[in-house]
Amino acid sequence: MARVNIESEVTGNVWKVQVAAGAQVAAGDVLLVLESMKMEIPVEAPVAGTVAELLVKEEDAVAEDQTIAVLETP
Amino acid sequence: MSREGWEGWEEESRELERRRRLAKQQGGKAGIAKQHARGRLTIRERIDALLDPGSFQEQGQATAIPDYDDSDNLVGFVPANYVLGFGRIDGRRVVVGGEDFTLKGGSPNAAGLRKSVYAEHLAVQYKAPLVRSLEGGGGSVKGGGGRRGGTVGEPVYAPPRFRIIADAMGQVPVVSMAAGAVAGFPAGRLVASHFSVMTRHTAQVMIGGPALVERALGARLTKDELGGAAVHAKSGIVDNVVEDEPAMFAEVRRFLSYLPSNIHQRARRVACDDDVERMEEELLSAVPRDSNSPFDMREILAMVFDEGSVFELNRGYGPSQIAALARLDGQPVGVLANDNRVYAGAMTAAAGQKYRRFVEMCDTFHLPIVNFIDQPGFMIGPEAERDGTIRYGMAAVCAAAQATVPWAAIQVHKGFGVATAAHYAPNNYVLAWPSVETGALPLEGGVAVAFHREIAAAEDPDAKRQELEDRLRNARSPFPRAESFAVHELIDPRETRPTLCRWVDWIQPLLEELKGPTTFPMRP
Repeated sequence: MARVNIESEVTGNVWKVQVAAGAQVAAGDVLLVLESMKMEIPVEAPVAGTVAELLVKEEDAVAEDQTIAVLETP
Repeated sequence: MSREGWEGWEEESRELERRRRLAKQQGGKAGIAKQHARGRLTIRERIDALLDPGSFQEQGQATAIPDYDDSDNLVGFVPANYVLGFGRIDGRRVVVGGEDFTLKGGSPNAAGLRKSVYAEHLAVQYKAPLVRSLEGGGGSVKGGGGRRGGTVGEPVYAPPRFRIIADAMGQVPVVSMAAGAVAGFPAGRLVASHFSVMTRHTAQVMIGGPALVERALGARLTKDELGGAAVHAKSGIVDNVVEDEPAMFAEVRRFLSYLPSNIHQRARRVACDDDVERMEEELLSAVPRDSNSPFDMREILAMVFDEGSVFELNRGYGPSQIAALARLDGQPVGVLANDNRVYAGAMTAAAGQKYRRFVEMCDTFHLPIVNFIDQPGFMIGPEAERDGTIRYGMAAVCAAAQATVPWAAIQVHKGFGVATAAHYAPNNYVLAWPSVETGALPLEGGVAVAFHREIAAAEDPDAKRQELEDRLRNARSPFPRAESFAVHELIDPRETRPTLCRWVDWIQPLLEELKGPTTFPMRP
């Protein structure tokens, strides 16, 4: 079991949260959608796993490289 | 043939053979075992793995620091800890050199230093690409002079030692591999390259290592924290990070395959088995109609260029800008494109520097540029202002404006603001997709600025702004730019590959004329 930090590539806002903590996700599933420079940027799970932590909520501001979620891989 | 009564040179020849053998022993069995235990190859193993089999021709085979006893018997023989020579990669001659970390941790001994400086001269003199394997910490205070005098430093009339490093970048492809801890001067050499690569687990690149940092700043950091792959994947100091040394050699060979051996030649065009008339259906829906939805620019590139030929550089640095090498009908080209999933593809300070260096490299080696434009403008906001974005952005604009290579611009999506000027050069061939949007400002911000009185005066300002944006958006059409010959062609996105492959044929005589030095070569 490994923990995978999901970091924001951009400074912006959390527009939509698509999963809840504890959810099972497959690689490529959209975890949340960020909004930056008028673009709606999906943040995808890089690997399959469980959403161990969801560190932001909708409308939160996020910074570049900020950890926004943590996945736990089986 | 020996003659009666003549004394030949057998003894010296035998002794020479012995010394050459001794010089190849590097740091001895123990030193080599230690290097392997670190998960790294020795310099001689690296050279053999990098080059075409059996092609290494060493220069300075008997360089060493000898030690004699009172009767002039050779009792010690420390090889120069820099190995240098010619070799071949895909049949083409290159110069390869690197520090021997099994001796003095790669810190140069006298003959080793001479050979490391000579590597650049050798490459420039024989007009062959230079591949450096870098490992070590550069100079040591132990080498400096004390108060006893003696001959210290370089003579005042000596030419600057770094001149040849700058000159080499304007003459031949220069590639650097970080294959261990690289600090000080070797780190400087690493960035004075057209391509640099490091291994993920066994290399670090630092100006000054942990001991220096702790002494100067009081901060205790490991080599990996200071200059490991996680740091430099984003710092732009290395172009690519790879898993291990064999992958590193493969990347070096691949990079060189796109470049000529020197500026007096053209990049080698190879036979192409990918159909030049190939039209991918998926290109038709690659750009969403909603301009706020991102799309995958890399998928577009993969569909247009020769199959499997896109080789991306420096992906983690200035990630809103994509820079890659690729082939079109076998012709090597430089590729620029915006990644709209990062700041909508905006030009940040880092993206601007990445862009300028890449254009200068393509100009130096006469590689045509193919540019897929989705540029919303320079990055804005407090961080962007603090980063000095506009200066680096304008440097990119100027590099493009003075570029001499043939340049194809494909207006894929957005093209707003001054930053868009960076995507065009004097020798343009301009294509547009129906999804193109251009102007001084994107609609969203632009409407708020241009119609601010009207919006403020409205009963419901938000609704008014939305209405104006919608009206202008619906009035947008790709056809006027084709009708007014503002682009060479408005094309169906599926036609991109055939159109660009025809252009590659047209530019062949132009490329022939570009051979030789450019007025402005690439600098680190």
